[in-house]
Amino acid sequence: MKNSLKLKILAGFMLLVALLTVAGAVSVVEFLKLSRSVNALIEDNYKTIEATRTMLESLERTDSGVLLYLLGEKEEGRKIIASARATFDQALETATNNITEANEDSYISIISEKYEQFSNKLNNTLSNNYHGRGMEWYHREIYQSFLDVKHAVDKLMSLNQSSMHEEATILKEKSHRAIMPGIVAIVGALVFSLLLSFFISKYYITPLSSLSESIRTFTPRERQLRSNIKSEDEIKKIEVEVNNLITRLVKFYDEQKK
Amino acid sequence: MRKEVIIKFIGYVLLFNSAFLLLSAAISFAYSETSSIPLLFSGLICIIFGVFPFIFVERHDEISFSEGLVIVVGGWVITCLMGMLPYLMWGGEFSLINAWFESVSGFTTTGSSILNNIEGLPKGLLFWRSATHWIGGVGVIMFVLLILPHSTSSRLTLLNAEMSELSKFNFRYKARKIIHVLIIVYVGLTLAQTIALALAGMSVFDAINHSFATIATGGFSTKNLSVAGFNSPSIDIIIMVFMVLSGIHFGLLYNTLTLKSENIFKSPVVRAFIVVLAIGIVLVSGKLYLSGTYSLWESLRYGAFQVISLGTTTGFATADSAFWPPFAHIILIYFTIQCAMVGSTSGGLKFDRVYLFFKSLKKQLTLLQHPRAIVVLRINNRPISDQLETMTLVFFILYFVTLFATTAILTILDVDLYTAFSASIATIGNVGPGFGEVSSLSNYATIPSLGKFVLTINMLLGRLEIFNIIALLMIRRGNY
Repeated sequence: MKNSLKLKILAGFMLLVALLTVAGAVSVVEFLKLSRSVNALIEDNYKTIEATRTMLESLERTDSGVLLYLLGEKEEGRKIIASARATFDQALETATNNITEANEDSYISIISEKYEQFSNKLNNTLSNNYHGRGMEWYHREIYQSFLDVKHAVDKLMSLNQSSMHEEATILKEKSHRAIMPGIVAIVGALVFSLLLSFFISKYYITPLSSLSESIRTFTPRERQLRSNIKSEDEIKKIEVEVNNLITRLVKFYDEQKK
Repeated sequence: MRKEVIIKFIGYVLLFNSAFLLLSAAISFAYSETSSIPLLFSGLICIIFGVFPFIFVERHDEISFSEGLVIVVGGWVITCLMGMLPYLMWGGEFSLINAWFESVSGFTTTGSSILNNIEGLPKGLLFWRSATHWIGGVGVIMFVLLILPHSTSSRLTLLNAEMSELSKFNFRYKARKIIHVLIIVYVGLTLAQTIALALAGMSVFDAINHSFATIATGGFSTKNLSVAGFNSPSIDIIIMVFMVLSGIHFGLLYNTLTLKSENIFKSPVVRAFIVVLAIGIVLVSGKLYLSGTYSLWESLRYGAFQVISLGTTTGFATADSAFWPPFAHIILIYFTIQCAMVGSTSGGLKFDRVYLFFKSLKKQLTLLQHPRAIVVLRINNRPISDQLETMTLVFFILYFVTLFATTAILTILDVDLYTAFSASIATIGNVGPGFGEVSSLSNYATIPSLGKFVLTINMLLGRLEIFNIIALLMIRRGNY
């Protein structure tokens, strides 16, 4: 059984299967990691970046609302400010609930603090009817506060963008690591197939050809096949059996002659 | 030639490599690193390809010399190919050619690197990088011979194919004993250096890696600044001592430890090697001090380290020699050409051949004066055959022809002459760092891809001592 050709070929194929299975498993594991990283990238950074964009947009709209209000378009100004503040609050909440980077919470605290200062000034403006105070007052009181909030939001956005860039680089490396086992396995399987065909040819085809050739060139005078098969497998058994057959036939004809 | 027997022996080599790959993977898993899967997968591939021939090929007790030659050369090439897999799969700075370069540089103990950020590598991959030095240092075939369950005759054939005639000169043992002596000295030196470096303040991980690289005369460090990254005189001294020991014939080291009469103190070659190193240290350190590059202590510290590092083909660095005076460069280039002793882990031309060359020169001069004189060349009181003398001279010629050819190819690729020349010497001599763009604290990243490939051929030629490759080509042409 140990020298059985069937077992040898089976073992060879089992190794090939093992190679491909391992490569497949490694690729699956790496692709799962990749997929998790993509999710993380979207969840962790992209969500916050979108929230910061919304915050910036809301701030700009609030600023426009204030300007409208100061220019006398009170109702329109109030409406824009209220809508923009609601959007900002919602976006800030999204960012607060999606803290994924180191020190990100402190960035959000600064935004909240600056926004609160901005809001207070805004509330004072709206409740005390500052109509007609002019642009100088707006620049000193409102605009500076608006810029502070915007700057704080920009910082949070930069933090998440640089983190997203780093994550994208890692993703690129992960995708490389997910693809490589497949490529290596394909090349490996090709080399393995060549080796397997070499061994099959060496230990199966060549002895069979040798046996066939010795049968073809066999002359009754020789009484034994000389195929020069050195293995102990099924092909050797065929040679032995053919030789036994020849011996029996020779014996039979010898007896017939008598 | 029986291809199946060659494939089976190379299978042993792969199985040996797989053990170190799996060990590296275990380190990577322990640190939860990104290199764990690439290392594990590479290890499994080595096992699969290593085990495969055992299914079909029966035991063969005898192998011919030509088969042995193919096993040795094939073993080295396949080892380098398999060794590049973890790098290639991990990615980062490792493109296909970079992974091949780093693998060949590791196994041939050259120690040239293409990495800009070594410290950015995971620990598992750093360990594999150093392990390639350690496997290649004494020769991957030598480890296989130790565990090979084959007859003495096949062991002897492989040993003859792996070791040069000169290397066997100081061994008065049988094949199996030679292998044991080599491995005992190799492992012993590695353990001793690891303990010494750990006591000097290195982390155990760094100590193991640097011991692997020192005893194999490789030169891969775990730091971007090589040994300079530790900035410790005691570490410098320990590494210097072990670099010198690793550059001496292991048979003589063994004899010295076992108190045999033929030891390092009585060997004229060892004496000459140490004297030449000492002269080199005095010249380089002296020039560094006189040119005002460093203080006296620093000149001696950096000068000695660099001379020993290049003179033993290790390639570690404690200072950037690119900014040293030209005279110091000339001396260091000489040591890059000369290399260390045969029977050690160093590659390249080897000091013994230089020694033999000068002895032969003296003999020829004597014969010019006394044409009828019978002059016998002797090393360690043993006569050197005319054939060995001729082969040494032929080796010199082949070595310099290869050096010239590689330099020419690199200049075709627009590498400047100084960088091309020093990179060629440093790679064929398995030294590692050169000068110019590839100086001691720099790397080979800027060399064009084709140039990198040519340099890896240089490394293999240096490691296999050119003759094995020529002999292999002659087998292919049916002349061997």
